[in-house]
Amino acid sequence: MNKILYILLLLVGSLTAQETKMSSAEITSFKSKVKTTASKTKTIANDFTQYKHMDFLSEDIKTSGKMLFKSPNLVKWAYTSPFQYSVIFKEDKLLINDEGKKSDVKIGSSKLFKKLNQLIVNSISGDMFNEAEFIMTFIKTEKYYQVQFVSKDKNLKKYIKQFVLSFDKKKYSVIEVKMVEPSDDYTKIVFKNRKENQPIKDEVFNN
Amino acid sequence: MTQKRHIKFILISLLILLGLSSCTLSTTKDLVETNITKTIFTNPYFSDTTKDYVYKANIEVYGKHLGGLMIIKKTANKHHRVVFATEFGSKILDMELINDTFKINFVLDELNKKIILNTLKKDFKILLQENHSIEKTYSNDGAIVYQSQVDKRTNFFFVNDCSRELKKIVNTSKTKEKVVVTFDTIEKSLAKEVSINHKNIKLKIELRHL
Repeated sequence: MNKILYILLLLVGSLTAQETKMSSAEITSFKSKVKTTASKTKTIANDFTQYKHMDFLSEDIKTSGKMLFKSPNLVKWAYTSPFQYSVIFKEDKLLINDEGKKSDVKIGSSKLFKKLNQLIVNSISGDMFNEAEFIMTFIKTEKYYQVQFVSKDKNLKKYIKQFVLSFDKKKYSVIEVKMVEPSDDYTKIVFKNRKENQPIKDEVFNN
Repeated sequence: MTQKRHIKFILISLLILLGLSSCTLSTTKDLVETNITKTIFTNPYFSDTTKDYVYKANIEVYGKHLGGLMIIKKTANKHHRVVFATEFGSKILDMELINDTFKINFVLDELNKKIILNTLKKDFKILLQENHSIEKTYSNDGAIVYQSQVDKRTNFFFVNDCSRELKKIVNTSKTKEKVVVTFDTIEKSLAKEVSINHKNIKLKIELRHL
């Protein structure tokens, strides 16, 4: 029994040890590589799985769908399971299709969406390391790079404690987004099957 | 002359009848009171502490549509947690019903209005409170109806005679139906479709189990 405990402790120790902060030289290099990747990326088509974690629930709520991006700032989130729901971020509006019921929301009244969208779009355009807006922590592990963003905006902080973006270590593209609430409940979105620079028609971003 | 008086009499009678009928509660109109066979009625839905009740919610309020996720969990005896969140998972409302009282953990500024919160609190009390003492029992075609008093309101629980499933809760004042909650597609104490329909305001909440 003691042996098992010892091995477990070792494992936990080594797992936590894997997460280290980047040096300032590494941060500079990381930022520039993310920007280079982003400038080359004109379109992205991604599958995603979203996990909503709330401490009082027995299981995370799992939803999934597709995310489409077209440079410079068109984004479509489409949930396909277990329901059909899509949001298009377009100019100053959110175009929502809730199982066939279509509506527009002026983005000004949905600050959270706006910020999340900005982060996604900015992580692609490479222009997200905004020190005026966020306190940032840069981390590397064996599997990925990670940036933790803590907003300096008091209003946003009431809703989101921090955004965490994880990056592929070879491609410098976003593979995971996590939004942590002040209560420590969180939403985690994991991207997979990323296809870059395949043509996506503008009509896809109409409701 | 007598004919005129006759018509006048009919008109007045009709008016009185109309007046009277608008003052009596329509819920019990076709019901026949029967003997009370049990003293406590238990709402079986949302009562399993091991289950997460997750619904896609559609809210129609004064012609506006609002969608999201409604998450309900019984966390302990006489203790429910209710969270309404966007599809993205951002919380809009997070509250707890403990015994008879609500505790608001979080509410989006835009929704933080007394009239909205009070309406939702009342709705979820009707939906979630489990045990109700029965004051009267009725029956009609295919249903047994239990009447229970809560503060100034009355709840009528409509139970299907054959399946023994709770199909409807009608919340009323002395004279008017206020809120009607219906349960459909029921599987083993799980109502897969729930509708909360307000009679005096234009508010309808529809929940579909995920």
